[in-house]
Amino acid sequence: MGIQLQRKLGSGFINLVIIILIIYILGPFLWMAVASFQGENELLKHPPSIIPKNPTTDNYRYVFTGQVPTSYEVKGQLRSRISQEARLIAPALKNSFIVAIIVLVVNLLLGTPAAYSFARIKFRGKNIFYNFILASRLMPVMAVAIPYYVIIKNLKLLDTYWGLILIYCALTLPFTIWFLSLYISNIPRDMEDAAMVDGCTPFQALINIVAPLMAPGLVAASAFAFMTSYNEFLFARFITQSIKSQTGPVIIASISGNPDASYSLISVCITLGLIPPLILAITMRKWLTEGLSASITFR
Amino acid sequence: MAIQLPSVASKEKNMTIAEFHQSKRTVKIWDRFYPYFSVSIPVLVIALFTIYPVLYAVRISFYRYLLTKPKDHPFIGFMNYKEVITSYYFRNSLINTAIYTMAVVIGVTLFGLIVALLLNSKVKTANALKIIILLPWAIPAVVGGLIWKWILNSDFGILNGILYSLGLIKDYIPFLANPNLAKISLIMAAIWKEGPLAAIFFLAGLQLIPSELYEAARIDGGSSWKIFRFITLPLLRPIMLIVVIYETLTAILVFDLIYVLTGGGPGDSTSLISWFAYAEIFKNLNLGHGVALAVIIALITLVLILIYLRIIRSEE
Repeated sequence: MGIQLQRKLGSGFINLVIIILIIYILGPFLWMAVASFQGENELLKHPPSIIPKNPTTDNYRYVFTGQVPTSYEVKGQLRSRISQEARLIAPALKNSFIVAIIVLVVNLLLGTPAAYSFARIKFRGKNIFYNFILASRLMPVMAVAIPYYVIIKNLKLLDTYWGLILIYCALTLPFTIWFLSLYISNIPRDMEDAAMVDGCTPFQALINIVAPLMAPGLVAASAFAFMTSYNEFLFARFITQSIKSQTGPVIIASISGNPDASYSLISVCITLGLIPPLILAITMRKWLTEGLSASITFR
Repeated sequence: MAIQLPSVASKEKNMTIAEFHQSKRTVKIWDRFYPYFSVSIPVLVIALFTIYPVLYAVRISFYRYLLTKPKDHPFIGFMNYKEVITSYYFRNSLINTAIYTMAVVIGVTLFGLIVALLLNSKVKTANALKIIILLPWAIPAVVGGLIWKWILNSDFGILNGILYSLGLIKDYIPFLANPNLAKISLIMAAIWKEGPLAAIFFLAGLQLIPSELYEAARIDGGSSWKIFRFITLPLLRPIMLIVVIYETLTAILVFDLIYVLTGGGPGDSTSLISWFAYAEIFKNLNLGHGVALAVIIALITLVLILIYLRIIRSEE
């Protein structure tokens, strides 16, 4: 009896800890989503209603079509809290998406062959190149932000997708190459050796034999490259100047710094901006977890 | 360079052998060249964004370079370093960085360890935790900071609203306007953002521990705490080292979160070293000072990495 009671209390305590952790992790996301469906006046109440009394999609309609929500028209003094800037979120997320997808593709096309060479082929200078690639990621971003700006300016790529893509490739390729070469070294090489004896070139061996075996690693590496580019803020803020190339994080940070912006509209922008990474994190959970685990346990 | 065959071979046959050797040689050259070709573009792109920026930053740090007077930048040797290091703000930001780093590293490690133990247990509710654990890690740090900013807002934040509705507080608390509360808020947001990664790392470590070890200990009558203390914890040591070093580096370099959540304030209570470098460049427009600071930060991280490598090597 005593032991059973103790066990029950124990599992009750563990469940309580889990619930607290779930609220801590998930609460902020839920609140943003809930706030985005509320009118401004409800959000500014003391205390705000946690469960919306009059849920509305007006905020979303304004962001996508420009139709001013009715609640703003009623209260004259609140009307100014509408920010035109919030309407930039859709094109900004499009920019983020395009840039991140191109970076992902470049990482796969250039990173995979490089990783294969580092993992499997002996060549002079290999260690120098490899260590150089790894060491490049150790620079604090603050130190290089200004020089990056100068480079992009001299290449005449300010405020373009290609400026962002170039920087993000430099940021993501080291991780991709390191990660994939770890992954490849953990694949047994008997099949490749056999194929090479039969006259297969290293590139053919990579495409025909190794690539299918390393598919989970490729998925994880793609997801990391996509997320790094989609989430980057500092460089994007420096080298983008207009909505031609400004990305989601830049616009979201800028709107929320705008004293004129309404809180429900900011919540809409944040919620919209979070949808792609959250979908990615949930659907790719298995690969991401395995990839992260591999990056710390492989030797 | 056709090879003469001893027998009287027809002209045609001779040609094919010559061609065969020719093609074999190009394949050989290509084989030798291929690895360089495959790594060349990544190395070039990375080099462009590594070597030039480092040289540029180090060079600028020896000049008096004000963004208000970009044409006039005299060489001043180590003056930037001297001015930065002796300033009150440098000492303040170092102390803030040390406090923040210690709190975040301890918090993230504990959070990661607890979550990983829960995820590795057979508790059913932990499955829900498994699905959502990566979410904070997957989003932009700027956006994570903004979400917390609205939650903690002193006039209409939901945290104040909940505490008020529950009757725990009479007046709203200005979380981000009080120096100590702002520090704590920043740390809580950082643990929220960084904890998940540590949890996944610890989970990977836990799954490497053979279950026979646990069974043997249980048969010998070891309590859960003793098993954790004498089996799990020692075996997690290598992972714990990596997490601690990684989180230390991340904490020292934190910028995005401060940029949106506190802006270094109130006053200079959350001005960490990276924020100080940013403020020198973009608020005081003193590029020389800011870059000198960045070089100092780079040196600090370099020393940490060297210590880390030494520890890893001695572990192995």
